[in-house]
Amino acid sequence: MTGAYGGVISPAADASARDRWRALALTDPVSRLVRNAAHAGIDDADYDLRLLALAAVDVVVGSMGFAREATLDDLVDELTGLASRMCPGRPDQARDAAQTVVRGLLNDAHDQRRFSYRFADLGAPGAAVRWEAYSFRLLSLREAEYGPVVVASDQAVTLFLNGLDVDLEDADRALAHVLQRQLDDRRFDAAARTAAQAERTSVGMSATLAELLDATRRDVGSHDWEQEVPQRLARARRHVEARIGEDDRLLEHVQGGLDAETSPEVRAVSGRIVDLVGRARRVHLDLERRLVGAREVFLTAQVRQRLTRRRRLRMLALRDEVLLPVLALPRPAALDVATAFADRALGVTVPRLVRFDDMVDMLWAPPRARESAEPDVEVVPDVGDATQDVQRYPEPVVGAARQVLAAVTGGDEVRLSALLDGVPIAAADASTEEAEVAELVLLSALWAFAPDVAAEAEGDVAGEIDVLAGGIEARRDGRLLDRPDVGGPDLLVRLRGSGRVGEDAVPACEREPVA
Amino acid sequence: MSSVAADLTQVRAAAELLGFALARRARPVEGGEYRALLDRYRSELAFKDVVDTMAEGLGLEVLGVPRSGLVLAPEPGGAFATRLADLRTTMDADDRLVFGLVLVGIAAYAYPTDADFDDPETRLVEIVRVDEFIRASLDALGGLGGVEGSPEERARVAAQVYADLPQLITTQTGRRARGCTLKAVEEVFGWLVEQGAAREATTLGADTFHLTDRFRLLVADSAGGAALDALREARARENRAEVGT
Repeated sequence: MTGAYGGVISPAADASARDRWRALALTDPVSRLVRNAAHAGIDDADYDLRLLALAAVDVVVGSMGFAREATLDDLVDELTGLASRMCPGRPDQARDAAQTVVRGLLNDAHDQRRFSYRFADLGAPGAAVRWEAYSFRLLSLREAEYGPVVVASDQAVTLFLNGLDVDLEDADRALAHVLQRQLDDRRFDAAARTAAQAERTSVGMSATLAELLDATRRDVGSHDWEQEVPQRLARARRHVEARIGEDDRLLEHVQGGLDAETSPEVRAVSGRIVDLVGRARRVHLDLERRLVGAREVFLTAQVRQRLTRRRRLRMLALRDEVLLPVLALPRPAALDVATAFADRALGVTVPRLVRFDDMVDMLWAPPRARESAEPDVEVVPDVGDATQDVQRYPEPVVGAARQVLAAVTGGDEVRLSALLDGVPIAAADASTEEAEVAELVLLSALWAFAPDVAAEAEGDVAGEIDVLAGGIEARRDGRLLDRPDVGGPDLLVRLRGSGRVGEDAVPACEREPVA
Repeated sequence: MSSVAADLTQVRAAAELLGFALARRARPVEGGEYRALLDRYRSELAFKDVVDTMAEGLGLEVLGVPRSGLVLAPEPGGAFATRLADLRTTMDADDRLVFGLVLVGIAAYAYPTDADFDDPETRLVEIVRVDEFIRASLDALGGLGGVEGSPEERARVAAQVYADLPQLITTQTGRRARGCTLKAVEEVFGWLVEQGAAREATTLGADTFHLTDRFRLLVADSAGGAALDALREARARENRAEVGT
């Protein structure tokens, strides 16, 4: 038999080349995410991203198959906690680091597709090279009843177990023997390490089985239940039964030693071993419970999926068959198609009638808090509402006032008097009452100078002024307005946040411009 | 459909299950009533028939039962139908077209092939990426010469509506203002979240969303087919018009 190197180097190197290559490939996504982290502004010197990646896999593998699997939020929170311990000086960045790691493991840079590598199988000397694709995922997202959960692939479990691609049952059994041997030889430190490894192996085995059953539940055809899976389950069941017995014996053995032992170090180590073996035993028991129900999972899934007829064939490549053709259609026809799609893609809406009680509650409800301090100046008020409130300024007036106030968007300070000079032009544009526009501009400037915070909180401010003045601020510099209809200081108006704020602010009530 | 008449307790349970499926916030958590009914739907054929039949009568169709719960699709025009036009009342035809294109774009971005419809993996999507994807599709169209006809005819195609809009206009506070495509994508995601078809993934950053199994099934088994039918119809109309002239 010729292996990957074509028998060139040594038969031993040859035989294991593929496995070792895979172990190498498995860690590549982690290296890649470390390299890419620099683009996200995460400094490799501040965070040990490799450790965070391993921790992510550990968290996920450890939770799989249990009543509550790790959600995306759990995972990111956990990693954020670890990251902030790595770099206590930058608490703001810890979450970014955690996000970078999770995104990297999900292969977010490539639309969450599989990581893909090509192995060059050289074959016999002189033969043509055969390229073998090796694609895998590490973490992936699934929707569960309590939100998106993260699941680990078999490859991630391998990564979780030292990166060695081994048969988990064999490893589990081998570790048990090694542990027994080390205990007999009284090499307690080594025994504790082995016990820890044994516990991880059990957890890994449990995770792969959980994934197998979950896949079956979704799609009976996902695994070969004719041959492979029943064999695998039978083997796993035999294994777990044997292990549960051995766990008990092992526990008894260590416990017995613990009682007889006098040296405090040995007692401490033995205590740790008891803990670890106990945990492994719980995992084994849990695994047994799931194995007993495995056949049932298969049968139910089979009945369900056999009998659920697929209503339509899902032979559909959305981009080529829908998106591109729609884009090429004339507008009216495209609208029909897009609407047909949208109406169905949006799903069910439960119609609700307006109830009097709800209406009263809505009317009494406190006004909604703004998301940010400043409202959007550009927002065009709904034309429909403007006509309903007789106290509001007519829409053209608001528009004209906005046009006048737009003079400040350049970032420079503009005198109120200059703004008022602009009123006739804007008012003529919109053919509205000049006085009304001037009044609104004046009120907006006044509001910007001394906002009535209390009234604002109560929602007791005319909407237009709020909107117009929200984005601007004003200050006074001692000059007075020189206009026939208005008195008071000539304010300097500017865009909010575009300069130093109110260094010479005076109490608003001292001497306000009076209309 | 079983010929045995359903007993009333079964009917009641079926109605409860549909009630849970219609309530967007209900989650079939372990030990809950919803979960028990869902498991019953999955394993008991007679019950499944009652639920399916009852849904049909209400103008609904059961598309599937992923872990997150029963997915229902409304019959168009039925009591539970959603209409794009109702989501915002101040849309003109071009607005609606843009929103519709964005929805198709989101689906095409998340599920590029038919195999993706069977993949339970939850997709992460970002606002900017969706917009870039749609714009790349516009370019692909131009490059392939996919649009025939005179410049005037080209100006009337749907792609032009999207291409004419700027990608981003910001408000003074730095948020996206209406009239740009990024805002349109943002708004569509807002609707999807409201409809339980997407969920915000704020833990992975702003502007990131998961698409739920509900969206996947709705696109795969309802919207995709409907769009294809509408496309065929539009083409047939075009052909008829050409023959007529």
